[in-house]
Amino acid sequence: MAATRARPSAREIFATLEYGPVPESHACALAWLDTQDRRLGHYVSGKWLKPEHRNSVPCQDPITGESLASCLQAQAEDVVAAVEVAGKAFENWSGLPGASRAQHLIRLAKMIQKHQRLLWTLESLVTGRAVREIRDKDVPLAQQLLQYHAVQACTQEEVLAGWEPMGVVGLILSPTFSFLEMMWRICPALAVGCTVVVLVPPASPTPLLLAQLAGELGSFPGILNVISGPASLGPVLASQPRVQKVAFCGAVEGGLRLLIQESVWDETMRRLQERMARLRAGRGLDGAVDMGARGAAAHDLAQRYVREARSEGAQVFQAGDVPSDSPFFPPTLVSDLLPASPCSQAEVPWPVVAASRFRTAKEALAMANRTPRGGSASVWSERLGQALELGYGLQVGTVWINAHGLRNSEVPTGGCKESGSSWHGGLDGLYEYLRPSGTPGRLAYFSESMNYDTFGLAVPSTLPAGPEIGPSPTAPYGLFIGGRFQAPGARSSRPIQDSQGKLHSYVAEGGAKDIRGAVEAAHQATPGWVSQSPGARASLLWALASALERRESALASRLERHGVEFKAAKVEVELSVRQLRAWGARAQAQGHVLQVAELKGPVLRLREPLGVLAIVCPDEWPLLAFVSLLAAALAHGNSVVLVPSGACPIPALEVCQDMATLLPAGLVNVVTGDRDHLTRCLALHQDIQALWYFGSAQGSQFVEWASAGNLKPVWVNRGCPRAWDQEAKGAGPELGLRAARTKALWLPMGD
Amino acid sequence: MSARNWGTELDLSWISKIQVNQPAVLRRAEQIQTRRTVKKEWQAAWLLKAVTFIDLTTLSGDDTSSNVQRLCYKAKYPIREDLLKALNMHDKGITTAAVCVYPARVSDAVKALKTAGCTIPVASVATGFPAGQTHLKTRLEEIRLAVEDGATEIDVVINRTLVLTGQWEGSDFIKTSTGKETVNATFPVAIVMLRAIRDFFWKTGNKIGFKPAGGIRSAKDSLAWLSLIKEELGDEWLTPELFRIGASTLLSDIERQIYHHVTGRYAAYHDLAMC
Repeated sequence: MAATRARPSAREIFATLEYGPVPESHACALAWLDTQDRRLGHYVSGKWLKPEHRNSVPCQDPITGESLASCLQAQAEDVVAAVEVAGKAFENWSGLPGASRAQHLIRLAKMIQKHQRLLWTLESLVTGRAVREIRDKDVPLAQQLLQYHAVQACTQEEVLAGWEPMGVVGLILSPTFSFLEMMWRICPALAVGCTVVVLVPPASPTPLLLAQLAGELGSFPGILNVISGPASLGPVLASQPRVQKVAFCGAVEGGLRLLIQESVWDETMRRLQERMARLRAGRGLDGAVDMGARGAAAHDLAQRYVREARSEGAQVFQAGDVPSDSPFFPPTLVSDLLPASPCSQAEVPWPVVAASRFRTAKEALAMANRTPRGGSASVWSERLGQALELGYGLQVGTVWINAHGLRNSEVPTGGCKESGSSWHGGLDGLYEYLRPSGTPGRLAYFSESMNYDTFGLAVPSTLPAGPEIGPSPTAPYGLFIGGRFQAPGARSSRPIQDSQGKLHSYVAEGGAKDIRGAVEAAHQATPGWVSQSPGARASLLWALASALERRESALASRLERHGVEFKAAKVEVELSVRQLRAWGARAQAQGHVLQVAELKGPVLRLREPLGVLAIVCPDEWPLLAFVSLLAAALAHGNSVVLVPSGACPIPALEVCQDMATLLPAGLVNVVTGDRDHLTRCLALHQDIQALWYFGSAQGSQFVEWASAGNLKPVWVNRGCPRAWDQEAKGAGPELGLRAARTKALWLPMGD
Repeated sequence: MSARNWGTELDLSWISKIQVNQPAVLRRAEQIQTRRTVKKEWQAAWLLKAVTFIDLTTLSGDDTSSNVQRLCYKAKYPIREDLLKALNMHDKGITTAAVCVYPARVSDAVKALKTAGCTIPVASVATGFPAGQTHLKTRLEEIRLAVEDGATEIDVVINRTLVLTGQWEGSDFIKTSTGKETVNATFPVAIVMLRAIRDFFWKTGNKIGFKPAGGIRSAKDSLAWLSLIKEELGDEWLTPELFRIGASTLLSDIERQIYHHVTGRYAAYHDLAMC
């Protein structure tokens, strides 16, 4: 470990052949800070804003601790004003032809190119990251992102017909982010016509610089606004009525978890240690440094982890040419941690790698998937078959085969589980900022008085409700779980009235235990259904369609009892049959191959099932909505737990009779009962991979709140009914997008 | 070249087990050229070190005793004396590692070096250079004659017919190519060769030398080669016993860079001696 010392002479270096400092001048970064008198405000509407009476925080060099500038902290009113500006800019920007937006993005890319040195030195100076990494990877990728999205904007009218920009997008950045993460989100948003308000954590000058570069293009100053402020402003930004979407982006890459097969453990560890010993750490602005430092907090985090790991009996290897003083931390390899030890459960901090052994590929897959995180993973194997099997099996957003960390603007990156469910880059990234044309925007419904503890907690008791004038034939009774009708755990029922207010029949009153059983049954059915070919899935959906056709008159008369006109009821059944067939056909056209620049070999864009999908169906269109949602979910390989329409659940139960004979047991489970209560049970269940809720605004709010527990993707309608009989606004492409998740599988080739 | 590869049992499974991840090698090769730059005093010191690894080479059909003599003199005085003095390196006896000539020019080289009073070894390419497609008998004879003339190092062109049919030969030093091919010393190929050297060392304890040759013309290139060796094999390989650079024009570019480091000016062609 090198300490600071007097500059050696050429004669001495000739003997030792050591590396020397390669300082990158950051004079331009300082000069830029000087233009603001070392006092950074916010950049809104193409202007610097420095409102009076605001607190400020120092922006420090993370290595020397030297104060570089002071940054004003926004208050709620500044956020409101920025959203206002972005809202006004949206009217102009979204109305432009895509080609004009494209031109603007290209101009921004050129602007970045012209000032790239300023960008990379500033970023390295304030984050402490190695300047080479920023210069050689981040800055070119930022330009590539703008260029790619310019092309997308240009073809938007044609390729994305039927979709419109959401509106103002609020972007919240976490304290340790890279400006590139911001680019991944603002590029698609701007390309499709959205405008952006970015809330950056205190003391992050790079986004401000980017906003300034964009602002200085002259036209459309309000499309990108950056305000810096504390995390407590996040809810303020999110609750602005004009903000139609909030994106949150997390930290830069942390440490790594490494799984190594026992048979090659010694060899791999030896090579790994050999290579780690040659890593050089130092000031980020040194051009010959592999890793910089990420400040005192990151240092302490790593130190604590390593100390803990040691005390739990792990082997710790540290090496590399690293300055001995804080905040530098040597690259560290922790091995032989037992799976049950607290360190194995914790997130590995940078710059630590935690290695553990596995025996078989199957075991490796199980170990890799047994984590709440699902961002990216790489598979290293010379056996292509094995590598692909693992690549498909890993529950992550990106898999690299025999490579790591490759990114390209054309390839969607995202994640699953707690790594989030949104996409950046590629077509998937564009849809994040679009909605089907004509559908209502996000309503600013937010009830402060909502009591999350009691929502749907109690089930109102139901008593016999008058004479049961038996409909003929008798409606099916029971919860459809695991392929058959079962009695509810509570052993009680709820009456369903017809449109005249008379008792139609009783349905089973499902509860928490029934939901648990349904989810279990769905999980058991999942592997079998996932491994079915799309063709096989399609033929089952088609068989179900035919069964529905045969049941047409019964279904229509059930709908009629609930006040649907006979003709309309017939149409609803017909449309339902058509939806089943359409989704069956679409099941066969999934995923595709991407060919990206600078990579020899393909990137597979796979569409994978979410897993167990819970759906709370709307009251409107009781049969069509139920069937449309079900069909889309099944076509994409999911197993489902459904809560049918509350007012009119009988048609759904009729369909269950056919599903009992046609579909594998447990693939579809239908639970009737109190909707709020069942919604509560579903939202608080941790082992459901996604939840769709079509019901009240209150219910939507609860679902979003409760699902935050494991960040499962939710889709809620906030009390707005959908036109299920119309392609675009009903069960159209949006459903297909939501019913599966994307995975990018990188396959670099070369002999 | 003192270290000798005493050989080992031929285990073809070592060779059949070798796997090369080409895209990763290409990325590593690209990285190593940008992530390990050296500046100022470090650059000057590293460049002088690079001089000591050079096999100063002339392999032309029109080589005569006069240009071989010039080459040998340059090998002994590779950098202008005043420049070395400015760096306080004049007493380090910096010369190139060897001179490298065709077998027929070995005696010229030996004579010239003797006259100049120095002990730089003479290396000779031999065995039907550069194709190696001559009879074993004449190839062996060629080596014998070159050694007789005073060559102490022989760059042998291996019989690639045998290699391609899986019949391997051993060596003390491996060279990227003859320098006469269309593609010569490239970083990706070097990485694969260096990893093979490392694996062999780990398995047997024998250190094999490495010599990239052909196309290494600029001072900057030579620095990248040094850092490649340092990164892949470590400092212990940065010695003329284990590392050589086969080059003819590289030396003048290094001298120009040293001139610039010392004087702050770029040299005109007539400022420095030709070789």
